[in-house]
Amino acid sequence: MLEIEKLNVFYDEFQALFDISLKVSEGETVITVGPNGAGKSTLLKTISGLLPLRSGSITFLGHRIDRRPAHEIVELGITHVPEGGRLFPQLSVYENLRVGSFLPRARGEAAATLKEIYGLFPILDERKRQFADTLSGGERQMLAIARSLMSRPKLILLDEPSSGLAPRVVTRVFEFVHQIKSQGYAILMVEQNVRKGLQLSDRAYLIESGRIVKEGLRKTFLDDSYIRKAYIGL
Amino acid sequence: MTELLLNSIVNGILLGGVLALLAFGMNLIFGVVKIIHLAYGQCVMLGMYVVYTLAVQAQIPVILSCILVLPIMGIVGILLQLLVINPLLKAKANPLTQLLALAGLTIVVENLAQVVWGADLRGINIQLPIISIGSVFVRTSNLIAFFGALLTLWGLYLFLNRTYLGLAIRSIAQDLDSARLMGINPRRIYLITMATGGILTGVIAAFFSPIYAVHPHFGGSFTMMAFIIVVLGGMGNLLGGFIGAFIIGVVTSVSGVLTSTEIADIIVLIIFISVILVRPQGLLGIRVSK
Repeated sequence: MLEIEKLNVFYDEFQALFDISLKVSEGETVITVGPNGAGKSTLLKTISGLLPLRSGSITFLGHRIDRRPAHEIVELGITHVPEGGRLFPQLSVYENLRVGSFLPRARGEAAATLKEIYGLFPILDERKRQFADTLSGGERQMLAIARSLMSRPKLILLDEPSSGLAPRVVTRVFEFVHQIKSQGYAILMVEQNVRKGLQLSDRAYLIESGRIVKEGLRKTFLDDSYIRKAYIGL
Repeated sequence: MTELLLNSIVNGILLGGVLALLAFGMNLIFGVVKIIHLAYGQCVMLGMYVVYTLAVQAQIPVILSCILVLPIMGIVGILLQLLVINPLLKAKANPLTQLLALAGLTIVVENLAQVVWGADLRGINIQLPIISIGSVFVRTSNLIAFFGALLTLWGLYLFLNRTYLGLAIRSIAQDLDSARLMGINPRRIYLITMATGGILTGVIAAFFSPIYAVHPHFGGSFTMMAFIIVVLGGMGNLLGGFIGAFIIGVVTSVSGVLTSTEIADIIVLIIFISVILVRPQGLLGIRVSK
């Protein structure tokens, strides 16, 4: 579904990603792990079109998307939940969800999608009139994920869903991610909480200093002694 | 004396309505396109010349001229975006360069007006009756401008709050990247915002035309007033701008009656500076910590 070939990304003269090749198949959950500053968020931002790439190719459902602006990439069915959610703070919960269905193809189904989402996240229904910046950290993350679902995506790019949340809230957010996964969406996730993230995923990549240094199925990652020592702490 | 004061307060409030519209346009453009439109008052002036040309030179009925000026100024807004602002955004120009470019635009517009229409006062010369309510005298044209401005603001409120386009405009003002991730094309929204801002200068020009005669330096003081109101209310804060407009309108009018028009400008600036000293973020602005 998503194929990335030999991707190189620069911030001015500084190279952030080196020859990244990666794949996400239909309905698959893939996690990218690695230390802070390894380039994981950069990877997601490049896929969604927020950052330009220097060379390489990104193909989604047969379309080359690597030279397209962000708003056209959403149209094709990729949604990106940035780190921290990046909600519109002075819009209500309902308006945040509504703007999620801005795309013409999502607008027609907005009412049905909204109903589905309120079923999945009842707390958002209760708080629909509140400004987004009055929500708790966990609720914000939920709203960010819910807002991205409003665009009727096929692939969800999830950047650090557990970032800055209390451990109990993290568990709940991962439950939601699991629910979404079981609805058949493909997910490409970046996550610091390697153990919880891996448990949810089918396959994983390890990125260090902008390069993919390891890839494999969940089990190989969970059993790998280097990963266990460096990232899971066992 | 009390009658004079009452009169000037009422007229200040009436002026405040139109100023609120002026500040709204500048605020909207600042909030969305992140550009301080220093030529905003000059665009109103251009609109008034358009009304003058249509109504007096082309002999088109005044009402029709006042309607025709709206799409014309909307197109001016779009041209500004394409010819001035897009190049600035493309070059990732720093705020100072942007400010200088817009300041340069004021000179271009003012001199263009002088070349085309000359330095004389130009007016559409219609006399609307003056009505009295008790001891208060108001010009019908001021009343029309006031209620027309409020009605326009109400329409804008509905547009921003009830339509997908309005929602897109508000979301892009709050988080550009996040808005792009929702499928919103910033270029398109900037164009729509500048067109809306342009139409607003046309609306204001239509309301001003029966009240003032226009000259090439007419716009400067209104740019200044709009900017003061926007900063006073808190940049990007539409409600703050609304309140600020009535404060500035009443202060201008009352101090103009008590002293002189020149002193009134000084008093407005003293009040403005005092507020900014105490609240640098403006009346309703949120302090941004770095």
